[in-house]
Amino acid sequence: MRQVSAALLGLALTAGIVYTAESDVFTPAQRSFWAFQTVKKSPVPVVKNQQWVKTPIDSFVLAKLEEAGIQPNAPADRLTLLRRATIDMTGLPPTQEEIQQFLSDKSPNAWEKVVDRLLASPAYGERWARHWLDVARYADSNGFKADETRPNIWRYRDYVIDAFNQDKPYDRFIREQIAGDELYPGDPDALVAMGFNRHWIDETNAAALFTRRQETLDDMTTATGEAFLGLTFGCARCHNHKFDPILQKDYYRLQSFFANTSFGDGPLPLKDPTQRQKYDAQKALWDEKTKDIRAEMNKILEPLRAAKLESGAHTFEEQVKEAIRMDPSKRDPWQAMLYHTAEPRVTFDEEPDARTLRSLKGDDGKRYSELKKQLAEFDSLRPAKLPEGQFMVDIGPKAPPTYVLRGGNFDLKGEEVQPGFLSILDPTDAKVAPLPNSTGRRTALAAWLTDPKNPLVARVMVNRIWHYHFGKGIVATPGDFGRMGSRPTHPELLDYLSANFVENGWSIKKLHRQILLSNTYQQSSDLQAKAAEADPDNKLLWRWSRRRMEAEAIRDSMLFTSGLLNPQMGGPGVFPPVPAGTLSDLSATAAAGGWKTEKDVAQTNRRSVYIFVRRNLRYPMLQEFDSANTFESCDFRKNTVTPSQSLDLLNNDLILQWAQSLAGRVLNDSGLTPDAQIERTFKLTYGRAPSAAEQKLAADFLTRQMPIMSQRLADAKTKPPLPANMPAGADPVRAAALVDLSQMLLDSNEFLYIN
Amino acid sequence: MADPMLNKLKHHWNVSNRREFFTQAGSGLAGIALAAMLAEDGYAAGVDPLAPKKPHVAPRAKNVIWCFMEGGPSQVDLFDPKPLLDKMALQPVPPSFHPETLLTAQGAKPSDGLFPARRPFKQYGQSGLWVSDWLPYISQHVDDLAVIRSCQSDAVNHVGGVCQMNTGSILAGRPSLGAWLTYGLGTAQKNLPTFVVMQDDKEILGAVQNYGSGFLPATYQGTLFRQGDTPILNLKPPAGTTDEQQRSKIDLLQKLNEFFGRNKEDDTELDARTRSYELAYQMQSSAPEAVDLSKESDATKALYGMDEKETAVYGANCLMARRLVERGVRFVEVYSGSGSGWDAHQDVNNNHTKWCKASDKPVAGLLADLKARGMLEDTLVVWGGEFGRTPFAQITAGQTPEKYGRDHNPWGFTMWMAGGGVKGGQTIGTTDEIGLRAVDEPHHVWDIHASILYLLGLDHLKTTYMHNGRAERPTVTGGNLITKLWA
Repeated sequence: MRQVSAALLGLALTAGIVYTAESDVFTPAQRSFWAFQTVKKSPVPVVKNQQWVKTPIDSFVLAKLEEAGIQPNAPADRLTLLRRATIDMTGLPPTQEEIQQFLSDKSPNAWEKVVDRLLASPAYGERWARHWLDVARYADSNGFKADETRPNIWRYRDYVIDAFNQDKPYDRFIREQIAGDELYPGDPDALVAMGFNRHWIDETNAAALFTRRQETLDDMTTATGEAFLGLTFGCARCHNHKFDPILQKDYYRLQSFFANTSFGDGPLPLKDPTQRQKYDAQKALWDEKTKDIRAEMNKILEPLRAAKLESGAHTFEEQVKEAIRMDPSKRDPWQAMLYHTAEPRVTFDEEPDARTLRSLKGDDGKRYSELKKQLAEFDSLRPAKLPEGQFMVDIGPKAPPTYVLRGGNFDLKGEEVQPGFLSILDPTDAKVAPLPNSTGRRTALAAWLTDPKNPLVARVMVNRIWHYHFGKGIVATPGDFGRMGSRPTHPELLDYLSANFVENGWSIKKLHRQILLSNTYQQSSDLQAKAAEADPDNKLLWRWSRRRMEAEAIRDSMLFTSGLLNPQMGGPGVFPPVPAGTLSDLSATAAAGGWKTEKDVAQTNRRSVYIFVRRNLRYPMLQEFDSANTFESCDFRKNTVTPSQSLDLLNNDLILQWAQSLAGRVLNDSGLTPDAQIERTFKLTYGRAPSAAEQKLAADFLTRQMPIMSQRLADAKTKPPLPANMPAGADPVRAAALVDLSQMLLDSNEFLYIN
Repeated sequence: MADPMLNKLKHHWNVSNRREFFTQAGSGLAGIALAAMLAEDGYAAGVDPLAPKKPHVAPRAKNVIWCFMEGGPSQVDLFDPKPLLDKMALQPVPPSFHPETLLTAQGAKPSDGLFPARRPFKQYGQSGLWVSDWLPYISQHVDDLAVIRSCQSDAVNHVGGVCQMNTGSILAGRPSLGAWLTYGLGTAQKNLPTFVVMQDDKEILGAVQNYGSGFLPATYQGTLFRQGDTPILNLKPPAGTTDEQQRSKIDLLQKLNEFFGRNKEDDTELDARTRSYELAYQMQSSAPEAVDLSKESDATKALYGMDEKETAVYGANCLMARRLVERGVRFVEVYSGSGSGWDAHQDVNNNHTKWCKASDKPVAGLLADLKARGMLEDTLVVWGGEFGRTPFAQITAGQTPEKYGRDHNPWGFTMWMAGGGVKGGQTIGTTDEIGLRAVDEPHHVWDIHASILYLLGLDHLKTTYMHNGRAERPTVTGGNLITKLWA
């Protein structure tokens, strides 16, 4: 046994870490690493400039600025501030009315009113759910070459939107996503939440079932470790983590919680208990009445089932074949898992596909058709189909064993492990109480993750929220709290907010409120030469860091500004048009549904969070602007500037259509003089009137474009796009030029940046 | 109106920072480097950041095409024959090679046994360089190749490896070599991106971190082309748009951005976005022609293997690369096996058969085509992955030796360069008798980068950018020129 110094032991004990001799594989540096210490709520620091302090956040920030001899920036002007917060909170710019209201509200709590209004907006959930969907690697398709559609996974996206809008406590949010099936049986939302670990990329036609299964487990382990614990767990798949105290064993201990989970796609229970009872009664009646018919149908189908089983089994490894063919009651948990994973390829539900069905010849075929007709006569008795979901559940109460895999290789089994947590925090096995139909393992994991004493979970989420507000987290690497990640710039603040978060019942909205009301958040983005020299990356937060809107916010804000955004919430993913040349890339996935552009224009103008996420074809406009890649958890968006983005903004037909709509909005404001039209266009896009120089610039531009438009209008083949719903009597030449002006305002930096 | 000079100064407020640093640094290398930088840094002079800049030394090459074999091609199966592997087949790595110090990515054990080359080697050309028969086409060009057998990287895994091979660091966040080149030399044309990246399969591990601009201004970032027939979307202005109309729209946009950008001159991203419209405008007229492979003859397409299924994708990308450098694009990275294709942990035989087949003819076609067009002397072609593979086997239980794989080997692996002033027909450096570690003339990734920059006319010590108080350079803290490449 290695020696542990008394001082170190003391440190570990005060930090609340329990460990035994077995776990002294860790170095003192690892043991004292900040992220593994219990959250400590330090007192709010005392600052010289008390005037500046609006919330405790400001005290923590100002203390460091004063120490560095840097002055914080003055607050941003009201319009800038409103625009910043509205985009930040809802992903959309403020309306003219909202601007007017705030600018004219002289009451001392004017800003507070704005903050509360934003927090209550349903658009808030659509905006902030998108952030979590990045972390959850959400997609509507399987990935790999076939990339089949996941027809019901969108319910998870709607669940997340709803959770944010309802301010679902974060600990409950975790419990539902990790163990919703075990903890809240009968609750359809909790089951949909189990979609969190249903987002693995999946090669459904892979011959190597062991590998496929192992990759699914690896995906869940890595995603869970990164999303909730902010640690690069995946690095410990093949070996002890090279930098962080994550043993390879810990990786498999975490994996073991999921050892008996698999897809549980199917009907969702009805929310309302009376409805559910009604459904059950109706279903029982139909079952009873049609029992004989269905029994006879099944008898006829029996040879087809047997044939499907054999032909399906044929494609697998020997062990899988055996598991498929054996008596179901004799399968051990591992064989049950193999069978479950293989099942969709070796069975069919009520009826096989039409082609297989046609192979029923002679009397059987005839009789089957007759029975089908008879069955249909009972359709009026049959209850309406339940909504279906896609989620992950345990397939039974007993899990197959989990082994440490040498080099992450499924064939190189090492020591068997039980469910457990990070050894540096708790080296003992997790205490698991099995349930009748489930292992109960994930209940234990959820309890550990939501234990207020867990040093990582609250910190990681608070930091994510901070990151999305400011463009950079207190820890600049939101998905890596380890040694290779960044250190917190304001550790005391992070701890203060984390402790507060838990005290406030894990309320995310209360945290937003605290941040938005702070002076730190309200600072202008202006440059202070001296501060910039001392702290060029603005680590100390002496100003607002200007940043480009994310992909979704750009598209949504343009649609909103042009008056086209369809606010309809929820439902299956939609397919807006893609630029010419995009679809040739899709040949591989055409069989799986490809990209069928919506016929209903209103559907194409839904918010971006509702755009179908096909892994092999990210929506090009969003991809250009750095949307998440969906193959793994995305902790922050890359920020690029490329000519492809400029080409998109200049030449994409969709953006031109939006500009037409925007110009139409302007022209339909009655009684506007040509000068007032320019002013109106600026107000709709920038939220403010143009300066004299801008007014002149725009007027000169229109004058310059008009002869071009005249010429184009003269030839039927070159007719320029005109504003939508152009009012009678409007001059088409000027109107066409106004479309160009509208588009350039939408494309300009003032529109695209959160300042 | 604000004084434009003052604006310039503010725009580059870190100029004062640099001067301060300069004074403090006094004499010494840093001082010399900074002086050079101050003199030659077009950025500080307030001109277009993409304006052509004077090289530090006489350039031997104008462009680079980097054929990046992502995932790690096996040196002992391709360019670095080791007869000892045959003699000691499946015997543990002898203690004299210090296997105990190795940390393999996927836990392959040196004791699992040395694994002979999967293919026979032969000598080719006048120079008699050794190549295995996995590369029947590239082997025809050995007299143009300088094969560096002693490359080294710090990375054990792919994400770090690809990142270091592109940026010098295994950690994300530093500028890529293409960005440094663009920063150091500016652009030779204004119609296309200066730095283009192409994939042939999945997304490159780490994606944009490998062709990003890091702490350099955003304008130096690489541009990723899409796979398939339409590498750049939205190239055509909306139907009926006249050039005059489009130009006028962009002029308006630039003005609007200029208004917004007042007093925000420190924000290089705003500036980069404004500039990217100018490039986009030029690309509208130039790029459709540049990326249109239908202009090429059937013979040329066949030369790149575009007429065969297995080589069609990479062949098209290599041909595209030639068309781009022909039009002045400075740096083109063409990934083979993008997304870790070459990563042969299992069944190296099967894996390398596939990727060698997919890339050999296209790369050879590129060399031949460049030569025939007189472009090879100006174009440096680089071949290599993020690391090589272990000379010992990685064994998957239950598999027979012909299905064994190889783990990652960053301790000694092969890359080669051709054209662009490189002296062909030579090998540089050696690995030990089993091809595990570089022994003679080991060359770190930084040496590779320093040498590429040198061939293009840049001194890596003078190619610096002030960041967080340090004069950062492409080679981080190292970099020795591989002078044999051109001497």
